[in-house]
Amino acid sequence: MRSTFFGLETAKRGMAVHQTALNVTGHNISNANTNGYTRQRVNFSTTIPYPSLGLNRPDIPGQLGTGVKAESIQRIRDQFADVQYREQNTKFGYFNSLNESLVKMEEIMNEPSDSSLHYTMEQFWNSLQTLSANSENSGARALVSANGQMVADAYNYYYNSLTTIQRDLNSEIDVVAREVNELVTRLAELNQQISEIEPAGLLPNDIYDTRDLLVDELSGLVNIKVTKVRPTEYGNALPIAEGIYNIELVNKDGSSYTDANGNPINLLSADIDGNQGYSQLSVNRDPNTNLVTGISDGNHTINIIDFTKTGELSAIIESYGYMVNGDKQGHYPEMINDLNNLLITFANEFNAVHREGHTLNGGQSGEDFFVLEGIVKTGDNYSYDVPNASQLIKVNQNIVDNTSLLAAGFGNGDAGNNINAQRLANLKTLDFTQYTTSATVPNGMTGTADTYYSGIIGKLGVISRSAELNKMNADTMLATVDQRRKSVTSVSLDEEMVDMVRFQHAYNASARNITVVDEMLDRIINGMGIVGR
Amino acid sequence: MRVTQSMISNNTLRNISDSYSKLSKLNDQSVSGKKFSKPSDDPVAAMLAMSYRTDLNRIGQYQENIGTVKSWVDATDDSLNAVGNALHQFRDLIVQASNGTYEENQRSYMALEMRELIGQITDLADTQVGGKYIFGGTKTDQRPSDNINAATGVINLEVFSNITLPMNIQGNDIFPDMISPGGVLDTIASALENPNTDPTTLTNYIGDIDAQMDVVLGTRAVVGARQNRVELMEDRLGQQEIFSTRILSDNEDIDLEKVLIDLTTQESVHRAALGVGAKIMQPSLMDFLR
Repeated sequence: MRSTFFGLETAKRGMAVHQTALNVTGHNISNANTNGYTRQRVNFSTTIPYPSLGLNRPDIPGQLGTGVKAESIQRIRDQFADVQYREQNTKFGYFNSLNESLVKMEEIMNEPSDSSLHYTMEQFWNSLQTLSANSENSGARALVSANGQMVADAYNYYYNSLTTIQRDLNSEIDVVAREVNELVTRLAELNQQISEIEPAGLLPNDIYDTRDLLVDELSGLVNIKVTKVRPTEYGNALPIAEGIYNIELVNKDGSSYTDANGNPINLLSADIDGNQGYSQLSVNRDPNTNLVTGISDGNHTINIIDFTKTGELSAIIESYGYMVNGDKQGHYPEMINDLNNLLITFANEFNAVHREGHTLNGGQSGEDFFVLEGIVKTGDNYSYDVPNASQLIKVNQNIVDNTSLLAAGFGNGDAGNNINAQRLANLKTLDFTQYTTSATVPNGMTGTADTYYSGIIGKLGVISRSAELNKMNADTMLATVDQRRKSVTSVSLDEEMVDMVRFQHAYNASARNITVVDEMLDRIINGMGIVGR
Repeated sequence: MRVTQSMISNNTLRNISDSYSKLSKLNDQSVSGKKFSKPSDDPVAAMLAMSYRTDLNRIGQYQENIGTVKSWVDATDDSLNAVGNALHQFRDLIVQASNGTYEENQRSYMALEMRELIGQITDLADTQVGGKYIFGGTKTDQRPSDNINAATGVINLEVFSNITLPMNIQGNDIFPDMISPGGVLDTIASALENPNTDPTTLTNYIGDIDAQMDVVLGTRAVVGARQNRVELMEDRLGQQEIFSTRILSDNEDIDLEKVLIDLTTQESVHRAALGVGAKIMQPSLMDFLR
């Protein structure tokens, strides 16, 4: 026979559990706008029914339920959506940062506009044509030297601006690397806390949320693979406990990097024996050029060519520049290099033609028009090895001071002799192969000074365009995945309101149940056995 | 799909910001009048724009050059015309003098007039355009009459890609016999000044003068042909300018009507996004529970 007070306990349990549920609902509502928060729910389950099996069990029909208990408080999250989100976030981080630095480059080049190199080259050509029409006119001569200086200034400006951005990118690499390291350190602490809480049979939901948020952030910076590890010796941990995270640094296709022993490179390591650890990334640089050569985790170095298209860090490195087999690569170094090559090719040929000409009423000039300040020519020409040629270029001071040294004539220095002015003007659209200095032009360079430069700008336009489109795609994909993830995790106030009504009613009904039992007891205690009184 | 308030507000925000960036792009286009402001907006059009600008710039410069050539050629023609007239007068004077009816001192007056004409031709040989001696060959800064035999050298000017026009006539080709001492004209004038000259022999000189006039006429024919060429080139450049301006504009200028219509369409989309967003974000179950 069951106890007389049986119903009281069942109703009490109902009240207590629904109070818990109301508290969780309150927590959900409070955190409706908390970044990274995952809605939580109470897992209700029935308590052990009465009576249990045994020889001395009371002979009543069936088992009688004894009420409810809160099994656990669990967060509702789709792990698959997390994986997808992080994958897209890595792509978005990469293309977003790449796009940003390429847009900056486009702003510097400022084509097409009236302040670009293309425009100053046009002006320079115009002044040479004007010189050709007025070869003895000192005004026309001064115009050529001034416009030549304008061309040199355009190169100076490009070089200085590009290297300034490059310097900024360099410090940004350090900032991002430090950010990665800080995130890893904080994640290691959270791993530690979780591994202490879970064995006690608790679910640290809010710490899980923080950890996932940090992992999301980390995924924007580098490509990672997250694995959950549940140590074999894990106390009373619930089966739904999430365990500790092992975070591996992976290649753009998700494949593992391996160190000398064939082991993967873990930023955050955890194994089933309960061992935990973390490593810190550092960026290796070439001692001469200061360009990036690799990424190291302290024990092993990943060659930089294997570290591409994976999150913000690699995008910044690709813009800033890196060394592959002694070659400078990356968007900024390549642009600087292309400009340098164009400049040196054009300046060498311009100088060669200028030297052949005759000064005003004088002999053969022999003077260079463009000079690289402080650089000694090898033979007649400037070497392509001057890394900052664009910074050093200027018009020969002798010509600026005395414009009659400008060699407009050819064959003689007669005032009206404009043949050399014409030859100089023609250089802009002369094919590199027809240059007198064509032997020194590097192999890859084809076309004319004009077409080569528009080729540089066209290439920049194309890569910047594709980075922008990819960024937009990644952004859309990220939003879609995030939407799907939020659809599971985010708090719906309407839903919480309904739950609140539901739980409140159940709470009230449980209380009413107690009243009913109370009245029954009252009937037994005070209303029974008083017949005839 | 389960949809929550935060998803709706995120989406609304995202849509509005998308809509804003489209509006801003259309605004940029309508203000600048250009389809693109940086190469990545349209890499192909940006590259074409650079070469079209080069073309247009060249045409402008060539038009300036052809202006210079034109003024030289016209000035040359005018001067040679004047030289031809002077030679005509000179010839008339010889015919007159050879008549034999004139007194000796009358012939010396004619000789004076001849000297005058030689001076006039000398001045014409020193004709200047923009401070430059056009008959000086490439020595445009030296007076040709000082050393006419040195007045050589052709000055060419580019008037189109790889097309050059000679802009001068070399003084040495025309003037030496007219202005230098011991030249044809000087010899004739000296003959007239000499009282012992037999007037009938003067007719022999008419042939010499005619030869000089032939030189001038021949040169004027060359100059005339050059004038025609200059005008032809000028026409061609004018047409090229119209054509290049048109393709430059087709390539980079916006179609204002289209942009304005797009802007209006986008504006109504934007209004709709704002309106719907404001409506959808407001109500929740709480508004309907007691």
